[in-house]
Amino acid sequence: MVDWSIKVGGAAGQGVQTVSEILALMLKRSGYYVFSLEDYQSRIRGGHTFTHIRLSDEPVWAAKKYLDLLVCLDPLTHGLHRHEVKERGFILGSFVPVGDASNSHHFITIDFEKEAIQLGNKVFANMVAVGAISAILGLAPELSEAYIEEVFAKKGKEVVEKNKLAFRRGRELVGIDPVLPQKGSIKSDHAPQFLLDGNQALGLGALFAGCTFYSAYPMTPSTGIMNFLASRAKEYGIMVEQAEDEIAAINMALGASYAGARAMTGTSGGGFCLMVEGLGLAAMTEVPIVVVDGQRPGPSTGLPTRTSQADLLFVVHAGHDEFPRFVFAPRDPQDAINVVRRAFYLTEKYQVPAIILSDQYLADAKVSYRNLELEEIPDFLIQVSDSSEYCRYALTPSGISPRVIPGGRALVVVDSDEHDECGHLTEDLGVRIAMHEKRMKKWEAMKKEMRMPFYAEGKDMTLIGWGSNWGVLQEVRKELRAEGIDAGFVHFNELWPLPFGLREFLVRLPLPVVVENNYRGQFADLLERETKFSFPVRITRYDGRPFLVDELRERVKEVLHDGQSV
Amino acid sequence: MMANPFEQEKAVEIAWCPGCGNFGILRALKEALFELGYEPHQVVLVSGIGQAAKLPHYLNANVFNGLHGRSVPVAFAIKTVRPELLVVAESGDGCMYGEGGNHFLHAIRRNPDLTVIVHDNQVYGLTKGQASPTSEEGFVSKVQAMGNFSTPFNPLSIAIAQDASFVARGFSGDVEGLKKILKEALSWKGFALVDVLQPCVSFNRVNTYGWYKERVYYLGEDHDPSNRLQAFERSLEWGERIPLGIFYTHLRPTYGEKLYTQIPRSHLLYQGMLSQEGIAREFQRLM
Repeated sequence: MVDWSIKVGGAAGQGVQTVSEILALMLKRSGYYVFSLEDYQSRIRGGHTFTHIRLSDEPVWAAKKYLDLLVCLDPLTHGLHRHEVKERGFILGSFVPVGDASNSHHFITIDFEKEAIQLGNKVFANMVAVGAISAILGLAPELSEAYIEEVFAKKGKEVVEKNKLAFRRGRELVGIDPVLPQKGSIKSDHAPQFLLDGNQALGLGALFAGCTFYSAYPMTPSTGIMNFLASRAKEYGIMVEQAEDEIAAINMALGASYAGARAMTGTSGGGFCLMVEGLGLAAMTEVPIVVVDGQRPGPSTGLPTRTSQADLLFVVHAGHDEFPRFVFAPRDPQDAINVVRRAFYLTEKYQVPAIILSDQYLADAKVSYRNLELEEIPDFLIQVSDSSEYCRYALTPSGISPRVIPGGRALVVVDSDEHDECGHLTEDLGVRIAMHEKRMKKWEAMKKEMRMPFYAEGKDMTLIGWGSNWGVLQEVRKELRAEGIDAGFVHFNELWPLPFGLREFLVRLPLPVVVENNYRGQFADLLERETKFSFPVRITRYDGRPFLVDELRERVKEVLHDGQSV
Repeated sequence: MMANPFEQEKAVEIAWCPGCGNFGILRALKEALFELGYEPHQVVLVSGIGQAAKLPHYLNANVFNGLHGRSVPVAFAIKTVRPELLVVAESGDGCMYGEGGNHFLHAIRRNPDLTVIVHDNQVYGLTKGQASPTSEEGFVSKVQAMGNFSTPFNPLSIAIAQDASFVARGFSGDVEGLKKILKEALSWKGFALVDVLQPCVSFNRVNTYGWYKERVYYLGEDHDPSNRLQAFERSLEWGERIPLGIFYTHLRPTYGEKLYTQIPRSHLLYQGMLSQEGIAREFQRLM
């Protein structure tokens, strides 16, 4: 089995992203499964940024700590990450000190920029680096060159040729035999076809769901969703509005939804704080809406470009008084496509808000797939009505009132104040009770909609996680099993309301260990509260970086050894 | 004569004080909508919070009574998604210029085809008498106990400075005059602001009906609404004489008109999930 970890590092603006993007796509083309993860600072130029790329001939979902190849676009990368390189691993770049004492590494010294200048322009430095990496790995040059042609075709023949020259120059300079078996020349039935990140996937999910309206204020890490939908706006007829603030964004989305659009908004925790007023409005007016919260560490502005899973208890409770809402957390990009589609369906079916918890890790990490599978989801069409008797909040046994949109003779009256069945404001306390009960009554049916978590059995212990930790937990489980620890795995992507029968399920699990990217273990707390079953063993990380496979495996083993919370 | 369909058959109990300036606005709006030939189902009234914001409940129409200060973003989206509907955002000065000030400025920038009616009584009525963004300096209340220190917000000057498409001022004590202005505003293509001077009989003892009647006058034939500088100058007039009427007009493409050159307007209304062909095309792009 091929399982290689590469890190490309440099200053922001130097081309780390370009190198890693081209490389990830070349690897996918060559038949490898790829996982790539960006690590960047909240700045435009300078600082330190890097990408983890993992490649394998089997699907991969997370990054590892120890590297087979470190590519240094600047000296800082070498200084910071040299210790992560495995024994006999490779270090590539112009900054590798000659005669470095740690001679357990292979050094390949190439000055990318100098080579590029000789080819006419330093912009080709990135392609020299890509060429060098592809030679080390042994990627088939024809496939890579065909890819270069595609990427640069729009910029003209000369740019294509120069990039090819740079690529070849990089290959020539390596001077070692390829370390991986030649792939790609063989057409494999198992090779991945798709490579996508969470933001793209959230956007795709909205597009497939027929979303016609997206309003947002730019905020890392969810801006990518807006970028994606804007890139498809003209082709499919989607209105994408950059609002003046998050308050406007959610109110616009609610107006659009009331008028009959399928509307979504996206932000991060700080922006979600501003949206909470609108979330309550959605609940009170029973206007459907999908809200994406791309989590990052806080409080306040926190670490803008890092990852976190610490908004869970906030979004579950956000808003004054009480009202039901759905909360989802996609496990990976493929899952995100379906989660958004399901969120649209459920927000319309129950006329309650649906919140999707993403995070920087899900948003930015690219994962490759053999296939993307779309779940069957019913369509939901609302209409106008000419009934003069129409009342928007008609009381029904389920609490769900028939919904129409303005335009027919039936007048649609919605109100943020407590209102009567026809939407007119009221201070009649009897009506208040009836309306509050109507809204809360949806809860039981909503619970029935929710699915039990994914479960893979294990006799010795059980890893429990939610959202974007799917991939890393799955891989840690695999590694533990390889070491003789029969680990099980439970994963939630539907968080709120929790499904019926959860306690009966949880009590059977051997030695549950909850893994989360927050300080206290918020999901474990929520489970304890709701199921009256306790989860004393928790592994948390809250430095803004995701769990890495090998690091987490070691922490799980420590916990198993000590038998206590870490 | 045909009955006005905007009159409610089953009247909702009106929560305004007797003699409130809001009654004049309600009457003028109902009549303006009727005289322009609209039917209730073609109209959406969007409001915020406060006494003025209750107005949509007192006539027959589609209603979105939302949050304090947030009526304009809601109305903007409704109008853009459903351009065939007449959309009116209406609320008080605290709602539109205070909590909603940012949305007000950005709506002017977008120029959606909306009519914005502001019940401007220079006081917070529903919360019992605090200064509002348009309260005059020196206005005394329980909060502004030593008199209001802040310079009042001048909605007309600000709107003209931002090149708003239509800027007008009415007076709720003159229902006929107000109706005329509202009819112009409702027929206008683009962002139309009508700031309505509206006495609060309970909490504003200064700006009363009598106080206004002594001062207000309509802009005459000599006023050219297409002259921005002149309009700006007239908007600064406040004191012994207070002008009413249409201060400024500038017909320019609306947000919707610009958007629909890129997206067919019918597409914004949900038509169902993306087709299999569309999905296949997107999958192809990802490969």
